[in-house]
Amino acid sequence: MNLFQTIFTGSNQAVSAAEGLLKQAIEQKGRDHKVAFPDTAYALPVIYAATGIKITTLGELEGAIGIVKSLIVEELQLTQALNAGLATAVAAEIIEAIKYAMNETPYEAPCAGHITDPIIRSLGVPLVTGDIPGVAVVLGECPDSATAAKVIKDYQSKGLLTFLVGKVIDQAIEGNVKMGLELRVIPLGYDVTSVIHVVSVAIRASLIFGAVEPGKLDKHMEYTKNRVPAFVNAFGPLSELVVSAGAGAIALGFPVITDQVVPEVPTLLLTQKDYDKVVATSLEARGIKIKITELPIPVAFAAAFEGERIRKDD
Amino acid sequence: MSDQFISIYQSGEEQLLEKAVKDGAETMWDRKAAQKTPCGFGEKGVCCRICAMGPCRVSPVAGKGAQKGICGATADVIVARNYARMVAAGTAAHSDHARDIAHILHMASRDGNYKVRDEKKLMSLAKEWGVNTENRDIYEIAHEVAEIALNEFGKPFGTLKFLERAPELRQKVWEDLQIKPRAIDREIATILHSTHVGCTGDAESLVHMSMRTSLADGWGGSMIGTEFSDIIFGTPVPRETEANLGVLDEKQVNIILHGHEPSLSEMIVMASLDPEMQKLAKEVGAEGINLAGMCCTGNEVTMRHGVKIAGNFYQQEMAILTGAVEAIIVDVQCIFPALAKLSDCYHTKFITTSPKAKITGATHIEFHEDNAMESAKNIVKEAIENFKNRKNEKVFIPEIKSNAVVGYSVEAVIKQLDKVVNPHIDPMGTVKPLADVIKAGVLRGAVGIVGCNNPKSKHDYSHIEIMKKLIANDVIVVTTGCAAQAAAKAGLLTKDARKLAGQGLATVCELVDIPPVLHMGSCVDISRILTIVGEVAKHLGIDNSDLPVAGIAPEWMSEKAVAIATYVISSGIDTFLGITPPVTGSDEVVDILTNRVENMTGAKFFIEEDPHALADKVLGRIEEKRQKLGI
Repeated sequence: MNLFQTIFTGSNQAVSAAEGLLKQAIEQKGRDHKVAFPDTAYALPVIYAATGIKITTLGELEGAIGIVKSLIVEELQLTQALNAGLATAVAAEIIEAIKYAMNETPYEAPCAGHITDPIIRSLGVPLVTGDIPGVAVVLGECPDSATAAKVIKDYQSKGLLTFLVGKVIDQAIEGNVKMGLELRVIPLGYDVTSVIHVVSVAIRASLIFGAVEPGKLDKHMEYTKNRVPAFVNAFGPLSELVVSAGAGAIALGFPVITDQVVPEVPTLLLTQKDYDKVVATSLEARGIKIKITELPIPVAFAAAFEGERIRKDD
Repeated sequence: MSDQFISIYQSGEEQLLEKAVKDGAETMWDRKAAQKTPCGFGEKGVCCRICAMGPCRVSPVAGKGAQKGICGATADVIVARNYARMVAAGTAAHSDHARDIAHILHMASRDGNYKVRDEKKLMSLAKEWGVNTENRDIYEIAHEVAEIALNEFGKPFGTLKFLERAPELRQKVWEDLQIKPRAIDREIATILHSTHVGCTGDAESLVHMSMRTSLADGWGGSMIGTEFSDIIFGTPVPRETEANLGVLDEKQVNIILHGHEPSLSEMIVMASLDPEMQKLAKEVGAEGINLAGMCCTGNEVTMRHGVKIAGNFYQQEMAILTGAVEAIIVDVQCIFPALAKLSDCYHTKFITTSPKAKITGATHIEFHEDNAMESAKNIVKEAIENFKNRKNEKVFIPEIKSNAVVGYSVEAVIKQLDKVVNPHIDPMGTVKPLADVIKAGVLRGAVGIVGCNNPKSKHDYSHIEIMKKLIANDVIVVTTGCAAQAAAKAGLLTKDARKLAGQGLATVCELVDIPPVLHMGSCVDISRILTIVGEVAKHLGIDNSDLPVAGIAPEWMSEKAVAIATYVISSGIDTFLGITPPVTGSDEVVDILTNRVENMTGAKFFIEEDPHALADKVLGRIEEKRQKLGI
């Protein structure tokens, strides 16, 4: 299947999944049931940024499904492919919002799920100063936990903020990666759709720090492309859904680097099979330059370890 | 922005044509009107005058009127013969051009007028041709390489060397069809032989021979012309210039370079920069010397020196009509003989320089390559001294010009592509990024738009309309010849023009830092397009005919265009013609060219005079090829 068709397939899957879940949720809780993420002033941030509409109930989410569908136009051109990627992002936000509507605590440790506004505000300054030189989204499953840990620790030692989605979370734990906001490694969730919580971070950066008006999607995409130095590492077999989510990342200006064979797009969608080179490849693709003074010490040294607590057992 | 952005390219022309009437000057439009309705027999290709039994004309309608010439040749044979002779003439024009360039390399020397400027390119060609380079003087190598090239024109055995540059699958197609050209001149002679009275009487065989001859142009003459011009004058790199008649300057000596061979124009460029010439220009009261190019020689000097582009084929008369041109210096090909009489209406000196193209009424100052600089200076001097004769009351320069970026040789394109290579994954210096974006679908395809101007079509309109539509649909356009100059005038060769492109192409243009339409040079430089298409096909391990690419000649007119179109088809690339060729008198020939040839070469001709419909057909065909390839 050609790349764009794969994206459309994934987007259609995302929208029907969202539609099905929403129908179930409405049957159980009714149209007026409240929908909200905790501690945010931006309702469902992706939908709010894209349309300027604050969704507060399950009933209103039905309208959002319409938006998703209108974004999927199966014409074989980049514009339509990227829009379909955005559709997947919106569908993912709908699915995640339903999780929060149906369950007070849909995410439990180690997974963070939704990231609150205060956390984003606290990340703002180090992002602007370059103290956090980039945001890595590591998604899927590495061939083994040692590889996963190596890649993640490398980002950590370079001061990047790393979000984990999928099985790689377990691999990171197994590989003894220390996690937490202070350590700049944040596991989001096991479902692919939980990747929306990092998209939501980028979008809220545009709303909060960029002061971009809600509803001006083009301007938000310009802001994320120019100001949020994020990229995606997608490991392991890629489903159509993941590929279409990747198109959403590319629409926001975030390159996708994968270990799988895909139709490559220079600087945007790249295949790197050598795990030792994934980090360098990713930083190069996102144009992240890190000023390093490497200290010859036997342990990793970086700002990411500043908040580390040494426990008795350690 | 789009309409305003584009529409200025034709403004000023009406005023110039009005001025022509006022000045009593005759233009192509007057002559076209005097021609009245063109002869339907010639238009359909069913008129034959190759022997003295004729002229014969047969009916273009099967079963009605005369069906055969006196010798018995049918409409099919007559049409195919006329077509084959057009291919032979076009091939001859490009090849004689190339022959001169190869001779120039053969006479190049360290302290001579002609030098080796691109040693790297020479050395790589020497290696390709098995010339020993170890411990040898660069000029010794150059002379041996030149001699091998010169032998390509008439070698008694084997086939052309550059054919081996094509993807292996393509070489096999040629091998199976038995259309690998042997020697360039031989193929031209064979066509003239076979189209003699009482020789070939089979349309398909004549088309077959035409393909072989045309390949001797694209992969022979033209490729030698381009490669050797790069070696002697430097391989083009991106640079900025300006285009349209507004580049003429009231305060300077305006010299127009028109024609084809860079051996002359390069020397004129050097001569006009000479302090002695500059001083002379001041002495006659001018602020300096303003060189401007026209047609392919204009393309050659703009690609290598950024010399401004005065205009394309259609504008050669208009340039003189401005009354501001001191001299129009020409060599060979596409020069209206009408310029002699037209320049008499003004002070303009019409200077012919080549013994291959003398024109009655012109000032002939023969250009001698063995004494090139001196020769060029004499010609420039003649122009400068003519400044005094300019009649200011007759001067009108339309204030129109556009910026353009030119100089996209294959080497330059690859260098731009290196910008997007991730060094942790891929090596530099390949066409992989281009192949990748085509495969992924970010670019739907790539199209070469080439060709002439033709009064049958609104000037430059088809060129521009087709380019606009293709880039808006994420198809990258490369262009040469007068089509490239049309693009330059319309502002399509600016990086800013990516605003007119679809998101896929615009993204590629932004990342690679290029305009959406790339000027790849003159008409012989179409060989550059063959090279880059072949490299992409090789990278993907497929044949040219599998790629979503096409060639278009929206406003073609010359026999060179016929040869080009035929070698493009023979190379496996669909070709779209915006002007109907004189073949419609034979259903058989039309069927071969627009249908059956696809079974032979994997590509065919499309004839469509409406530019918008033509662009739609190109887009449709590109998607068809993508689907077949599964991308």
